Amino acid sequence: MTTKDVWILDMDAGPIFEQIGRNVRRLLARGDLRPGDKLPSARELAGTLGVNPNTIVHAYGELEAQGILEKRRGLGTFIREDAPVKTMRDEMLKASAETFVNDAAALGVVRYVAMEALKEAWDAR
Amino acid sequence: MRGFKTLLWLEHRRSWVWLVSLLGSLAFWAWGIKQVRVMDVAERFGIRAGLLGMAAAIGALVLCLMIGRIRAETRHGQYQVLLLTPPSGYAHIGARYLYAAATAFVYAVTIGFLCWWIAALAGIHLDARTLFELTLAVPLYAIAVTVLPLLAWTLLLMVFISAYRISGPGWIPGTVMILGTPFAVRWLITGVGRISYSLPGWRLLANAPTALIERFGQPDVEGTLQMTSVIDRGVPIEPLLIMLALTAALLAIAGRIRQEVEA
Amino acid sequence: MLARLRDVTKRYRTAEGVRDLTLDFPAGEIVGVLGLNGSGKSTLLKLIAGLLFPTTGMITVFDRPPRGVRSRVVYLGETDTLWPWMTPEDAERFMGGLYPDFDPARYRELLDALRVPMRKTKAMSKGERGRLRLAMALARSAKLYLLDEPLAGIDLISRETILTSLVREWHTDETILLSTHEVAEAEGLFERAIYLRDGRLALDARAEELRERGKSVVETFKEVLS
Repeated sequence: MTTKDVWILDMDAGPIFEQIGRNVRRLLARGDLRPGDKLPSARELAGTLGVNPNTIVHAYGELEAQGILEKRRGLGTFIREDAPVKTMRDEMLKASAETFVNDAAALGVVRYVAMEALKEAWDAR
Repeated sequence: MRGFKTLLWLEHRRSWVWLVSLLGSLAFWAWGIKQVRVMDVAERFGIRAGLLGMAAAIGALVLCLMIGRIRAETRHGQYQVLLLTPPSGYAHIGARYLYAAATAFVYAVTIGFLCWWIAALAGIHLDARTLFELTLAVPLYAIAVTVLPLLAWTLLLMVFISAYRISGPGWIPGTVMILGTPFAVRWLITGVGRISYSLPGWRLLANAPTALIERFGQPDVEGTLQMTSVIDRGVPIEPLLIMLALTAALLAIAGRIRQEVEA
Repeated sequence: MLARLRDVTKRYRTAEGVRDLTLDFPAGEIVGVLGLNGSGKSTLLKLIAGLLFPTTGMITVFDRPPRGVRSRVVYLGETDTLWPWMTPEDAERFMGGLYPDFDPARYRELLDALRVPMRKTKAMSKGERGRLRLAMALARSAKLYLLDEPLAGIDLISRETILTSLVREWHTDETILLSTHEVAEAEGLFERAIYLRDGRLALDARAEELRERGKSVVETFKEVLS
């Protein structure tokens, strides 16, 4: 969690605090982060990413409000045990699916062709 | 003041090469003195004394060069760094001046010793009191009246020039200062001369004429009378006081400029 | 308010530095001072540091004239300003002797983190000198830091190290004003970005707000300053 390449930040892609939030959800959904895991402190993460610590504090605050992480006094910031990982996974999958479908539709293919392409890609993994 | 010690340290690190060179050069002058091979003792002594006079003058010049090195600092931005340190402009000026003044003192005392040496070489016996005065009191008086004010003036001139080069053509006030100085100096000398000896003089080297007569024999009566009256009068105290006051004033102005100037 | 500028104009003999600047700098911000060459970034920082005096207008730092509070402000200028004979140990003696808020332990840590060699500065590369000067600056604890192009002429890896050090050393009640050309690299650091064009204030905005509207600080730079 303290290596820079795990986190994806793009200065042109909206407020950083939102991106941090998206990153955490992505990592949780993919299992790179698990409920109960300790997150780096705001300052640590800020140092790793070269980002203003207040931004991380803002991001962590939002994630706390969303019930994804919690601050334990004296110990640090942790992913909540009851973090809605499944929900996040479902949401990300749904978003991915929607993107795929929109791309396919833009190419003008029918449902069957799109499904075949999906199966092919899956089998090739 | 904690900062002042560090400023002195900085000055030393900047300038120790000058210090060592100056003092080392006296070895060269000593060697030169040894090389004088004139037959007549009195003449030899005279020439050697002249060499020491040259050493003193050149030393004063080199000291002025040493204290005046501000332009390089301004160009390289170290001036900016110093300006933003907590110690006041007065402290900066004070440290720089103190280092040069201390160097001048050591140099002058050493020349005092060299005077004693050339006297000894010429067979002139000086008593302890004369020796003490020659190596301490005379150098102190000499530098207090000449070199110390000169160093302060040089420092002020360089501070002036570097201050104004930022906000305007620096050479104008500098030129004014340089051109005005001969007039100021002449006025100063006349004025000081007029009031000199209102206070009792400071008798120095009282026993020197005796020692000289002992060695070289009695000159004519008039010569003896002249020598005695000069020694009896002593050196005037007024120039000493005035020059010290002038030095302090020049340094205060330099400190003030340094304090208030842009970088 | 740590620093305040009111209608500040600075005119040089031949050119204008800044014009009619009115700005407030509260505690706890990291501010990017951005602009093209000659836009007045250096002038602004020098005015706040007290190296320059405004031609018109008023500047206060900690509610006082800038020069008077210089012991509470860290200014890191653009130009290389160390004495050639100085080593990092000499620099420690210099800083420790003149600044009460200089922390030697922190200085040594920073020298280590920034990989500054123990040589005379004349035997150092420009990047090494830049890192040394930064270590000297960050080892002080001031409330206001004015960093003029701290990344200029410094290699890529050192720049990253410097930015990381800045983040690590910053405390939430301190304010850093940082001017840089490497806007993209430093972008994440800024909470607020001030754009100067020809000595005037072109834009003063919160970085995250700019990004909310879909423009990075860099994008806005291109927009505002071309």
